[in-house]
Amino acid sequence: MAEIRNYTMNFGPQHPAAHGVLRLVLEMDGETVVRADPHVGLLHRATEKLAESKPFNQSIGYLDRLDYMSMMCNEHAYVRAIEDLLGIEPPPRAQYIRTMFDEITRFSNHLLWIASCGIDLGAMTVFLYCFREREMVMDMYEAVSGARMHAGYYRPGGVYRDLPESMPKHKETRWTKGKDLKRSNEWREGSLLDFIEAFAKDVPSKIDEYETLLTENRIWKQRTVGIGVVSPEKALQLGCSGVMLRGSGVEWDLRKKQPYAMYDQVDFDVPVGVSGDCYDRYLCRVEELRQSAKIILQCVDWLKKNPGHVMLKNFKVIPPTREEMKDDMEALIHHFKLFTEGYCVPKGETYCAVEAPKGEFGCYLVSDGANKPFRAHFRAPGFAHLSGINEMARGHMLADTVAIISTLDLVFGEVDR
Amino acid sequence: MGMNNPVPLETVDDILRPSADANPLLERGMVTTSLDALLNWARTGSMWPMTFGLACCAVEMMQAGAARYDLDRFGVIFRPSPRQSDVMIVAGTLTNKMAPAFRKVYDQMSNPKWVISMGSCANGGGYYHYAYSVTRGCDRVVPVDVYVPGCPPTAEALIYGILQLQAKVRRESTIAR
Amino acid sequence: MSETAKAITDLFTARFGDRVTVGATQTGITTLEVDVNAWLEVCRALRDEEDFAFEQLTDLCGVDYLSYGLSEWDTEDASQEGFGRGVEALGPGRFDWANRPEAGDVKQRFGVVVHLLSLKHNRRVRIRCFAPDEGMPIVPSLTEIWASANWYEREAFDLFGIVFEGHNDLRRIMTDYGFTGHPFRKDFPLIGNVAVRYDSQKQRVVYEPVEIEPRVGVPRVLRDDSRYKTDELDQAADARAEEVSAGLNGAEEGKD
Repeated sequence: MAEIRNYTMNFGPQHPAAHGVLRLVLEMDGETVVRADPHVGLLHRATEKLAESKPFNQSIGYLDRLDYMSMMCNEHAYVRAIEDLLGIEPPPRAQYIRTMFDEITRFSNHLLWIASCGIDLGAMTVFLYCFREREMVMDMYEAVSGARMHAGYYRPGGVYRDLPESMPKHKETRWTKGKDLKRSNEWREGSLLDFIEAFAKDVPSKIDEYETLLTENRIWKQRTVGIGVVSPEKALQLGCSGVMLRGSGVEWDLRKKQPYAMYDQVDFDVPVGVSGDCYDRYLCRVEELRQSAKIILQCVDWLKKNPGHVMLKNFKVIPPTREEMKDDMEALIHHFKLFTEGYCVPKGETYCAVEAPKGEFGCYLVSDGANKPFRAHFRAPGFAHLSGINEMARGHMLADTVAIISTLDLVFGEVDR
Repeated sequence: MGMNNPVPLETVDDILRPSADANPLLERGMVTTSLDALLNWARTGSMWPMTFGLACCAVEMMQAGAARYDLDRFGVIFRPSPRQSDVMIVAGTLTNKMAPAFRKVYDQMSNPKWVISMGSCANGGGYYHYAYSVTRGCDRVVPVDVYVPGCPPTAEALIYGILQLQAKVRRESTIAR
Repeated sequence: MSETAKAITDLFTARFGDRVTVGATQTGITTLEVDVNAWLEVCRALRDEEDFAFEQLTDLCGVDYLSYGLSEWDTEDASQEGFGRGVEALGPGRFDWANRPEAGDVKQRFGVVVHLLSLKHNRRVRIRCFAPDEGMPIVPSLTEIWASANWYEREAFDLFGIVFEGHNDLRRIMTDYGFTGHPFRKDFPLIGNVAVRYDSQKQRVVYEPVEIEPRVGVPRVLRDDSRYKTDELDQAADARAEEVSAGLNGAEEGKD
């Protein structure tokens, strides 16, 4: 009688559905997964150790590159931690800008999630539709910071600079002129706030498009309903946060429970799922997109009515403007010391978490009074979520593993750090 | 046909290709340059890259393939398997742990193959140059044809890099030596 | 979080007494220092008892306190030397724990810091445990109490060398297969010891000694002088200090 053994195979690290560099060693009994052992660390770039070797502000760029689908939310956690240790608070206009851009970042993340989840499960049209919207988000990032992806916009004390008064427009070319050109420049006639307002007003119809393609789709439902079910107790035990918790029915959102920036001033709802499977988490994320649009419109309203400065005037930690620096001796000295040495943060330790689109992204910062962090540890939601994949994927088939990996919303920049 | 393949002004006397004089088929002439032009047109017209997105540059690569900066109009279709692709776009940071798998995937590609190194991490370690676990440039592991700078390079910059690779391919001569 | 710092401090001190030292509360997060022998007991109490109900372990990380308080650039005196020669040569790789120049106020070299979250009370707490022996740091594992500690402990083991007793699968997670050393320790160089390249003779990727030089862009300085005491910062710092001392005084009175 032939002996039957389980077959161990390698999923990744180069795999179109592995969401980056994931090496998943699967022990299979036929088509069913008996055990899943993820090997991470293939994108371990020693961000935390590099942050210890650089002054505080120079590490803000590393935060963009951790969860590279939701850039500004990571920056927000780190910058909040520094502000907490310094004991400073940014002006209200900066807080509103941060809130607005956090929600725009939520768009960036969830759109890419829907796109990649769709393309992993075979729905390729959604990918193109979501990326069309994502180009608008990247235009907003570019208008405000100069870079399409890694903005480096938040600083301790506020944000780098105020929102621009005009948006770049499409030029007339041989193929686009007249009415076509006017239509493509329709949103760009005013300032960045007008662009964002037009985007946020238009986006619910686009979300309806994605829902038409996926939500009632028989194939989508067959592939996501009942897959990767996590009970609320299990989710808490596994360290899940964000949509992984809310999809299982736990009502926990840091924006409501432990509000930061201006989240207690804006009015929004938080979707909570019922059964904890992939389908519920998909529905939660789509609904979060609609709520984000609501928050963005409220922030745009406030920002239009309340001009002001976006950085504190405390020159011990925040550099003066270039005009001031060229005129005033003290400003020059402040600029010099800040850009050569940086500010020294008082002794202490803090943990600041934000409700990143993927879950709770936290920054544990230890300072011993120096101009560089003594220990900067970043708590990534994807790390905790991926550690639970053995529990979630056991008993499912190989194709369901792909659905589960997608629903965990993984990005290896933050898992490996 | 309006192809921009360079045609030599005169035959080049090259001691490195002794058999060329004996074999008329290998000499640079009208037939061989036309055949080369045809080969290069076919190769550049349908460069199929393999998805080797490692980190953030992968997102810009996806944006390049998406609606606004459509790569499909250049004939570029992303293939998941190395055996079906011509070019590998190394998008993201290459770590020491990933390097053997990376080389294996490169070896699995069939000739002719090219490599585009996208982003400063793939070019030379980039923002993570001084980290212990990062390979300082993917050219330590594979030979690279085009380097696209940026962190991340915008989708437009990546398209420019692909166009440069196409120009490089057109300068190659396979039949005529 | 509407409870005052004093109330939370009182709660912890009342329950745990002298096995736990209650530190300052910053951002509403109290820090508890727990002795390694009481680690499991305190954690179980924090999870199970109604007053605390910390259902989730949010984060566990290791910290290496070797060069705590160490400055590379002398800021107390003036110097005739320029930048390059003025940087103190004693980087953390050149001394060990027993001989460190800056004693600081840290008991042991390796610490394990855990952040807990209570959804019921909407509260966070930070607990810290020092590994008793810095040559072989061993701390009990929390995986039986909170399952999420699993990978975090693997990471702390891999990057710092802290051994978690009772963990069922303690192996490397972040570093390369066959990597030697614990990279986040302060005496491990940032550039590492090996670099990688492809050898066409051997037809595989080989490891060679690293050939780049370490580079200090900005030296590490500690400054605590009058420039940081502007009015607002000063007042805020004074208010915080007052709150903390009131809390600790209250705790002492409670113990009496």
